[in-house]
Amino acid sequence: MTKKIRIATQGLFLLFFLWLFLQTESKGANDLGYPVKIFLDADPLIFITTMLSSREWYQTFYLAILVIVATVFLGRVFCGWACPLGTLNNVVGSVKKRRLKTSTVNWYRFKYYVLIFLLVSSLFSLQLTGIVDPISLLIRSFSLAVYPLVSYATNATFDAFYNANIPFLVNVSEFIYSILKKIFLPFQQPFYIQSALMGFLFLLILALNLVERRFWCKYLCPLGGLLGILSRYAFLKRSVSEDCNDCGACTQECQGSATPDQKESWKSTECLYCMDCDDLCPRNAVRFGFLKNQPVAGMDLGKRRVIGSILTAIVAVPLMRITPIARAGVSDPRLIRPPGSLEEKEFLRRCVKCGECMKVCITNGLQPTFLEAGLEGIWSPVLVPRIGYCEYRCTLCGQVCPTGAIKRLELPEKNKVKIGLAMINKGRCLPHAHATPCIVCEEVCPTPKKAIWFEQVMVRNREGKERILKLPRVDLELCIGCGLCEAKCPVLGQPAIYVTSVGESRSRDNQLLLP
Amino acid sequence: MKRRDFIKVAIVAGVTLTFPGNTSMILSSLEAADKVDLAVAHGVLPARITKAAIDALGGIRKFISRGDIVVVKPNIGWDRMPEYAATTNPEVVSTVIRLCYEAGAKQVKVFDRAVVDPRRCYKQSGIVETASAVGGVVSFVDDRKFREVKLPGIALKSWPLYTEAIEADKVINIPIAKTHGLSTLTLGMKNWMGIMGGSRGRIHQKIEGSLVDVAMFMKPSLVILDAVRILTANGPQGGSLSDVKQLNTVIAGTDQVAVDAYGATLFGLKGADIGYVMAGHKAGLGTMDLAKLKIKRINI
Repeated sequence: MTKKIRIATQGLFLLFFLWLFLQTESKGANDLGYPVKIFLDADPLIFITTMLSSREWYQTFYLAILVIVATVFLGRVFCGWACPLGTLNNVVGSVKKRRLKTSTVNWYRFKYYVLIFLLVSSLFSLQLTGIVDPISLLIRSFSLAVYPLVSYATNATFDAFYNANIPFLVNVSEFIYSILKKIFLPFQQPFYIQSALMGFLFLLILALNLVERRFWCKYLCPLGGLLGILSRYAFLKRSVSEDCNDCGACTQECQGSATPDQKESWKSTECLYCMDCDDLCPRNAVRFGFLKNQPVAGMDLGKRRVIGSILTAIVAVPLMRITPIARAGVSDPRLIRPPGSLEEKEFLRRCVKCGECMKVCITNGLQPTFLEAGLEGIWSPVLVPRIGYCEYRCTLCGQVCPTGAIKRLELPEKNKVKIGLAMINKGRCLPHAHATPCIVCEEVCPTPKKAIWFEQVMVRNREGKERILKLPRVDLELCIGCGLCEAKCPVLGQPAIYVTSVGESRSRDNQLLLP
Repeated sequence: MKRRDFIKVAIVAGVTLTFPGNTSMILSSLEAADKVDLAVAHGVLPARITKAAIDALGGIRKFISRGDIVVVKPNIGWDRMPEYAATTNPEVVSTVIRLCYEAGAKQVKVFDRAVVDPRRCYKQSGIVETASAVGGVVSFVDDRKFREVKLPGIALKSWPLYTEAIEADKVINIPIAKTHGLSTLTLGMKNWMGIMGGSRGRIHQKIEGSLVDVAMFMKPSLVILDAVRILTANGPQGGSLSDVKQLNTVIAGTDQVAVDAYGATLFGLKGADIGYVMAGHKAGLGTMDLAKLKIKRINI
């Protein structure tokens, strides 16, 4: 019975997660209307590390406090009953034959070393949690790989029917397609740099369930580690009565590494509180309840290994930062951050690489970085105008950012934020270099007083005939660097107008003009 | 015949006999209505002036027949609210849809290939709301539905156009009058860019001929130029209310060149000042010579 309730609860949380994920998309209004980042808000690991690295208190994290309190009272119920990645691991793990391994008995400690590394490095302002935090990892993998993949496969299938154009059949397929579009397909096919890599990493995590069920949750997950520590003295405890005859059935079923067969040295920190052992015990000897003075096993992480994790973190902080891009004037010109992004150092202290902003970006322009922001900033958002520009009246990325790395801006404020500046490559521009009319850049420029203007000049063509030509020019004071001009520039390959991050409002040093 | 009927007939007959010119006067005024080339309606209510302009041309039934599939093509190209005059007035659009249904249209479709994000354009322009409310079928442009068509070849020999626009029984073009950097103004013929597929940025290299090519191919049943508000600078996208001028005017006609030539006068220009109007005139698509046209002005 407990098992059925648990599975139903897990299913509901997963569906809620997926539903919020699907709502992380513009419908054309200014606001999304749903609290799509609620799972990130409820993530205590993101809460604690972000607070440490940014040295700021966040009010929106009340849900994380709730999870912490729940864990202190009830143990790792989040892992066993709510975590969407845990549920997916359950699903994939269900195809694996149950066979107990003894070689992995101490691997559970590894996630604590990861956790210690993340906590210590965040204390020294390095925020790498998002790379391995399960919620962040799941949203990123879904946004950048799984969802685009599903969308692509579905579109390709229905396009095939559409193009085959068999009468009647095409009507049926188009009807189904229109329904799918309403239910779960994205408005337009998303494309992301590195999506294949993200997809493979995610598949790897799922595939590890075939090595051992919930491999990720048992051995790797740093959030699991944090909740494990918090549940060390949880009030909800497991007891085994005298009826136990050491049949070992519970160990076979255990979703964590909690060694339930060992009674007195049951590892409470490794228990996911799925309570399957209670359900299945043939002698009904297992009981969960609020018990006092119930003996449990210690954590046994090993002093040397803990010190080793701390030292690794301490070394990693300067190691990550001895890159020239940290110096003024050397930052990557391609590193165009979303509007409302904090100054780069502050930004990196907060960004957890969850990919929410990339998912919600209505032009698909926000992409994950690779090394443009250094290794520290891997998979943080960067605007690639050739893929998509920053929509002038859109503020969605700031609305979904869970940690305030991208500030939530009101429209009048957003319209003033510069994320870069556009410059014209005269050698490629049609009017400038080839005396051919164009000025698409001027047409699309979205600022109320256009930042691109044109100069009318008289030119002579090859035959010596005079013609009037409009040459585009950029007004550097007005340009906000949205990249619409670059996105629409008809000069393919290298565009004739392009945006770089110079002039971005958030930076004091990355400036071209005198203030 | 009852007594009352007899009296009626007698009175009508008497009146007709007393004023022999009467019937012919009615007939000639009907003929005159047929001959109106452009209707310019002025008034504060967009819905009323839109209807008045169409009525002045002979009424919607002259253009739309029972059972027609009609495409109404507004400008929904930008993420701007109606008061910024970058997109067609939503009330003008919904009035035309309503009239089409009143004339017995089977279905009225509304779409535009927006320049920026279509979700925002459709929503913020107010068009998705007003058009749906009167039964218009508003859809986003589906990339699969463009078909390469042969064009007259003044500038373009062929180009992919939107099949729903090509295959409709009747097409009504509802542009808004705005300034435009390259073509000075964007009016009716420029609005056809919203049914063009492919990489439209290249069109600008030969914009005048290209627009005439598409306009000649499309042959709309009616052109309704929305000048309720016009954008006088920083077009076609605008963004500042100080560039918007409230004219409370709607112009209707069937001659694409004539409508645009009249539209130019709203900005203090002549048709000949606009490259594609001149090109359309030369290609015989219509006339920009407003003096030769019968223009009916209505004030409400």
